[in-house]
Amino acid sequence: MRRRPGIGGLQTAANARDQYRLLGENVAKLRTDLMKEQLATFRSQLEDFARKHKNDIRKNPTFRAQFHEMCAKVGVDPLASNKGFWAELLGIGDFYYELGVQIVEICLNTRSHNGGLINLPELCNLLRQRRKGDRGAVTEDDCLRAISKLKVMGSGFEVISVGKKKLVRSVPTELNKDHNEILELAQAQGFVTVDEVERRLSWTTGRAIDALDTLLEVKLLLLFTTSCIPELEYNCSLTILIDWCRKGLP
Amino acid sequence: MAAAPHNFFPPASLTTSGRPVLLPGEVECQLLSGVDLESEDNASGSNSSGSYDFSPLKSGVLILTTHRLLWLSSDSSNTTAIAIALGSITHIFSAKKSIKAMFHSPRFRFQVSVNSKSAVVTVVVRGKGDWEAFFAKLWESWRARAWETSDTVSKESGGSASSSSSSGGLYSSDGSVRMVGVAGILRKEQEMWENTDKSLQDAFQDLNALMSKAKEMMTLAEKMRQKLLSGSNSQTSSGNDDEMGSKEMQDWLLSVGIISPVTKESAGALYHQQLSRQLADFVRVPLERAGGMINLIDIYCLFNRARGTELISPEDLLQACSLWEKFDVPVMLRKFDSGVMVIQNKAHSDEEVFARIKALVTKPDAFTSGISASDAAMTLGIAPAMAKEHLLSAESKGLLCRDISPDGFRFYVNFFSEIDPSNLYLVKDHSLYSVWIKATAAS
Repeated sequence: MRRRPGIGGLQTAANARDQYRLLGENVAKLRTDLMKEQLATFRSQLEDFARKHKNDIRKNPTFRAQFHEMCAKVGVDPLASNKGFWAELLGIGDFYYELGVQIVEICLNTRSHNGGLINLPELCNLLRQRRKGDRGAVTEDDCLRAISKLKVMGSGFEVISVGKKKLVRSVPTELNKDHNEILELAQAQGFVTVDEVERRLSWTTGRAIDALDTLLEVKLLLLFTTSCIPELEYNCSLTILIDWCRKGLP
Repeated sequence: MAAAPHNFFPPASLTTSGRPVLLPGEVECQLLSGVDLESEDNASGSNSSGSYDFSPLKSGVLILTTHRLLWLSSDSSNTTAIAIALGSITHIFSAKKSIKAMFHSPRFRFQVSVNSKSAVVTVVVRGKGDWEAFFAKLWESWRARAWETSDTVSKESGGSASSSSSSGGLYSSDGSVRMVGVAGILRKEQEMWENTDKSLQDAFQDLNALMSKAKEMMTLAEKMRQKLLSGSNSQTSSGNDDEMGSKEMQDWLLSVGIISPVTKESAGALYHQQLSRQLADFVRVPLERAGGMINLIDIYCLFNRARGTELISPEDLLQACSLWEKFDVPVMLRKFDSGVMVIQNKAHSDEEVFARIKALVTKPDAFTSGISASDAAMTLGIAPAMAKEHLLSAESKGLLCRDISPDGFRFYVNFFSEIDPSNLYLVKDHSLYSVWIKATAAS
């Protein structure tokens, strides 16, 4: 572009810059789109390979390490066994162990949102999404079986039935930090209501009620129901209430 | 005079659980137990010139990896470990099969040269491992020269980047189109895409192709990850929570992924022992992130994920944890009354918690009103149920006294031991008793 003096020159320069910028943006977009396509191809190829050549990959340790690294970088799950007739009948084989690992992983990922309590249909759904390339769909029964195989490692994972619904609890009472947060809330006023817990900590009703119930069981909280407003339940911390009585209510 | 083996062979570094620290990209191939390493048998007394003599290393575990041969002493009190780089092995003698060999323990020899000194090492296999398979793998690894390929690949990639010529004009001297200006940039991009596409196609034709192009594919994967997956915050605002959670997991896994997991094929009879040690090493990082205590089932998932496709069963995991008692590792398995099993740091163990409880309970207000489970929970940063358990066990150790009142359970420091039964009113200076008196007199 030939440089022109004066205002005309400035305008030309500005135009040129704009054009270059547009071109650059287009190229960048094109580049990203192409890369996404290649990534998708890469991923599906890796998944195919993981399924077809599983045993061969395992035999060669150096290659196995490289294959895993590729999968990890691109976001492909290398666990991809099919159920198989004997696995289903006798409940043995890699399939249920893999399922177990994937289930625990989903629980770990969703823990910060649901406090370690997830309902079974949602778990199965997330599992199916993860195993998208799978030919045989995963049923709720499969999930339950995989979880029961984890039992030998202690009762950290439990399936609880609330009415007709089944929930999976992945955080045992001993390790549950939710309770601490409730106690902290309770200290401020001497009591907490279910609503307040939900609002302040952004939890679901199920999570709030579960945590409050557990604290009731270990007798760290007392339950008061006011008769005029039956829906509201007040939970007072036992020791905090007594402290209050001593110091005198404001 | 036989010299110490350390003067000749460099020592191998070990982790806190007695597992060897591997180089990047180094993978374990085979383990053999009950192995002695001896220098060349000089029965005749004459020493061939230039050959080094070292005192024998008895009864250890020999580990073959893609890059080195490691020898670890099995004796728990002695933690000698040496490393022999496969590159320094100049010759492997073929194993002779003679009548004499049938009566002795199997042995094979190889020649090593370090710092212009050479020695012939005899490996005597006194254990029951499959030494022939080990020997065959030793040949394979030695011939594969894995330690050299990492250098050549980096040279290759460096070389290809500088291939553009620098003469003037649109067409360079060798006839290829020159890269000039905007058109040049676009054309270069186009070429890059076409190359990558072709690479992808070639690599995934079959397993062997993928194996030979593995390194290239790995760099490609890394590039894609950097550009697309980490820059996803700006573009995919609707990424659902599971994706985001698993992206963090992915990043974390990439940093702690186990490149060389212990498998039955590689370790044979030593499988449970080596697995147990590898688990102890692995558990360190997640344990810190979780604050010193982690559910066994969570570790099952994380460990298996790090191992990729080499899954271990829950029973294997449990057995590996129970073997920890035998080794000196900094972690332990703990079972609660409710049936929950956790892994916890030995340092984070009862003693440390008791020390913290004691500090909490000897504060001035605690002397008058004691502490409850919720106070302890909030100060120690653990769940209230755990805090209650800790307080109860501190009480059973004689550290605390309980006070059951309509207020509930409260705990006070126990200084009954300081009170002399024959003279109840004698108060020693600087004892807890005297501090208590001062504190309660003031209120």
